[in-house]
Amino acid sequence: MNPRDQRLYLAFLSPVILVLLIFIVAPIVSSLFASLHRIVIGLPQLGDHFVGLENYKELFRDSVARHSFWITVIFVAVTTFFELLIGLFMALLINHRFPGRGMLRACVLIPWAIPTVVSAQMWRFLFNDAYGMINYAVFGADTARYIPWLAIPGTALSAIIMADIWKTSSFAALLILAGLQVIPEELYRAAKVDGAGLWRRFRHITWPLIRPALLISLLFRTIDAFRVFDLAFVMTQGGPADATNVLQLYGYKKMFVEGWMGYGSAISVCIFLIVLILSIIYVRSVGRRLLEASV
Amino acid sequence: MSKHFLRKAAFIVGVFFALAFSLVPFLLFVSSAFKTQSQITAIPPQWWPSFSLEFFRSALKNYGIMHYLLNSIIVAGSTTLVTISLGAFSGYALARLTRKWAHLILMGILACAMFPQIAIAAPIWRFLQLMGWLNTYQGLVLPYVALTLPLAIWILTVFFREIPRELESASLVDGCSRFGAFIRVVLPLSTPGLFTASILCFIYAWNEFFLALLVMTDPARQTMPVGIALFQGEYTVPWGAIAAASFITTAPLVIMVLLFQRRIVTGLSAGAIKG
Amino acid sequence: MKTFSEKWIFLIAVCLLGFGSPYSFAKEPTTLVFLTWKPNQPEVWHRLVKEFERLNPEVRIKFQVGPHSSTQYHAIVSQRLKNKDTNLDVFFMDVIWPPEFANAGWCKDLTPLFPVQDQEKFLHGPIAANTYKDKIYGVPCFLGAGVFYFRKDLLQKYHFKPPRTWQEMLDQGKMIVEGEKDRTLHIYSGQFKQYEGLVCDMLEFIWSNGGSVIDQKTNLPTLDRPDVIHAISFVRDQIIGKAAPEGVINYEEPESLDLFIQGKAIFHRNWPYAWSIANNPRKSKIAGNVAVGKLPAFAGHDSASVLGGWQFGINRLSRHPREAWRFVQYMSSYQAQKILALEAGLAPTRRSVYYDSDVENRMPHLKAFLPAFKRARPRPLSPVYPMISQELQRFFSQAIVNKDSDIPRLAKNASARIEKLLKLGAMVK
Repeated sequence: MNPRDQRLYLAFLSPVILVLLIFIVAPIVSSLFASLHRIVIGLPQLGDHFVGLENYKELFRDSVARHSFWITVIFVAVTTFFELLIGLFMALLINHRFPGRGMLRACVLIPWAIPTVVSAQMWRFLFNDAYGMINYAVFGADTARYIPWLAIPGTALSAIIMADIWKTSSFAALLILAGLQVIPEELYRAAKVDGAGLWRRFRHITWPLIRPALLISLLFRTIDAFRVFDLAFVMTQGGPADATNVLQLYGYKKMFVEGWMGYGSAISVCIFLIVLILSIIYVRSVGRRLLEASV
Repeated sequence: MSKHFLRKAAFIVGVFFALAFSLVPFLLFVSSAFKTQSQITAIPPQWWPSFSLEFFRSALKNYGIMHYLLNSIIVAGSTTLVTISLGAFSGYALARLTRKWAHLILMGILACAMFPQIAIAAPIWRFLQLMGWLNTYQGLVLPYVALTLPLAIWILTVFFREIPRELESASLVDGCSRFGAFIRVVLPLSTPGLFTASILCFIYAWNEFFLALLVMTDPARQTMPVGIALFQGEYTVPWGAIAAASFITTAPLVIMVLLFQRRIVTGLSAGAIKG
Repeated sequence: MKTFSEKWIFLIAVCLLGFGSPYSFAKEPTTLVFLTWKPNQPEVWHRLVKEFERLNPEVRIKFQVGPHSSTQYHAIVSQRLKNKDTNLDVFFMDVIWPPEFANAGWCKDLTPLFPVQDQEKFLHGPIAANTYKDKIYGVPCFLGAGVFYFRKDLLQKYHFKPPRTWQEMLDQGKMIVEGEKDRTLHIYSGQFKQYEGLVCDMLEFIWSNGGSVIDQKTNLPTLDRPDVIHAISFVRDQIIGKAAPEGVINYEEPESLDLFIQGKAIFHRNWPYAWSIANNPRKSKIAGNVAVGKLPAFAGHDSASVLGGWQFGINRLSRHPREAWRFVQYMSSYQAQKILALEAGLAPTRRSVYYDSDVENRMPHLKAFLPAFKRARPRPLSPVYPMISQELQRFFSQAIVNKDSDIPRLAKNASARIEKLLKLGAMVK
């Protein structure tokens, strides 16, 4: 590659690098820096002391943080599992050629296009304990038996899980569909000629060939799911009794509500590290080769 | 024959479920926008709205939806334009650079996208305050650009990689500069990728809530998600107004998705996964 | 950054020289930025502001709107003040914030501007809430206190007088529900979601049993005392899911009020603002059948209500402190408070407004609230209150949500955490 080209590419890249440096890298560094200090914005007299890893040690001792971690893990595990399942189901449907396929595709994409805050309000409305549609669907007009879904710890977490599954299954379907569409038709035709049934075709052709797509969906979904915030913020504010106090919401409360900038930053750094480690594990298990091939 | 029929029936049931799953919750909610107040909180719930437009009127008059909509259009539109421009240039560069470097930079960009938004919100806010960019459009657009660039760059890089170098070489031989080759040959061929990236970018900027809440406290500049979140006052939760606003804020996205659904899928499939 | 600001200064200088004339600058109006939460009746506030601008033509007020939720509004205001934002002049403070804001140096010390003889025109509770280390940091705007609403038609029908104790309320409620043969009618409606309102509701139960959560003298938490445990157990066992629907665990003010005005609850605890809504025939099914009174107490103790309300604060770093003070003075004047009372139903903080003939005639319930207002108790006054509140919210929520919660153990855990916070707060005393 000649040096003139190299300079051109550098010129192309520099604005992006600049924007990312200012708005992402610098804040990350600032956050890391803050997490090593004790900063209480409501008590400036205490100063911003350097405390090393004290915030992180405190985090491990903090029972609320541990609880938040497990809540988030449950959230990630359940939502990712169902989203991939439902996404796979929808992708298989859409992959078929049939009249009205475009309409189905568009309708399936709608949940993903809706703002998360709107979707959260919507589910708050549907789960309402006095006039919510979900109660009506289960109990009919017998309002005395209506369940206050968002008031019981177990069902509150399930409610936000359901809200997330609804919204994101379509995105998973999109990614998986992309993988499906790459599989050549001839393979299926050849298998049909050989007398292979629907299930065998799926198991031996579809499944192995969409594994990369599934894994990439898994990767992106896990990264996103660990950072869940909007849903818990709008639907339950972390309650009842911290049942939906996901990690990022806890970090928000510590940082912005209570003013523990250092501690809150430590929580964010932990989320980042968890996501980073998971990504590394995924990439290793899929094989660098596969990821590189698509890059 | 019956096996074939069963298969067909199962398929139709599957389609029905997919449709119901995707649409019914939203329709139930948004239908409240067309009801009257007493219909919304009626117990037992009333399914069919009476097609009253009182909430739309109230949303427009009392809640000032139109200017939230305008702000959202400006912010999301500008973000998309800037991100796609920057993304196109850098994606091309990454597609043509040596694999090792490109891979490194791309991984770095992906790592940027992994950090929780809460933590970077506070430093970004301080920076904007320093620059006097709070409550300005650029104060929201620039962070959004930074947040949408990673995904845009990934998609566009893959797309540009697809374009055979021979086409460029041909135009270079014809006396075109590398830059010219990019503009005249590569870009037109990658419209599906540009499309996909634009739509993803637009939807992200349109729906973003947390940063918008922090940066825009002036009602004249607030975007839709913030506007809707602020509907809640001390009175009873204004479901009708929220539903009406949700309808208005989602309609443009739904229309876009309906019009461009094929392109979105093609874009993602060609770009995201290679067998 | 240095070159950046140099460039800006150069640009501004050019503009000033090129386009500005000294004459036009003399006429430049001062703009005050007033950051408020979303008001319920924005027209009333806008009218007041327009009137101020008319009387003070050289000052313009720029409205900025934050979320209505006290916690979220606090997040935004505190972030801006912490980062020394000079583009903020006047803001609201919830009644529990002045110690925090004063200690952090965010709000201006108003003692020279707001002398004691002026302070005495206001009710004592709010003034005390705005005072920190003998200096005053805010001007009370409107007041809130926990008020007891009930269906006077139902009580009259069954020949009941308003209940003086919680047990009496439960007994009356049971008889009414049986008599009305309505399975969807509940006895009580309140706010028990995990948010600040939960602390208010629970404190009223605890205080009405003679308990408290923090001993201000020793600066230690007192959560594990028997009177506190008893009050909390009462709420868990008799109120949640029994007298009140289980859903109250997810209710803030709007939802709990909704239950009441739909006619589904006999007794209701809320702030004064609920009166106008409950008696508005367009919004409420029980308009005209509502009465107010003191909150019940446990046998042998006095009724207690939590002090609420909002005050005006001025940014210590405001560039226009004089104009900001004029604005605050206007917005907390007799006239302004009267308008807010008559048209927005907000309880005044100036004593004399309660005796104004218009207010007495059109809003007689405000005078009826006055004894409760005078008795209202503030929540613990401390610069670390936001953190204490989070711990209390967590503790109360955990205690009342699980039917078999081990309240003494939860109290011990919460006490340990709160004690650490109180020690932190004491370091700045």
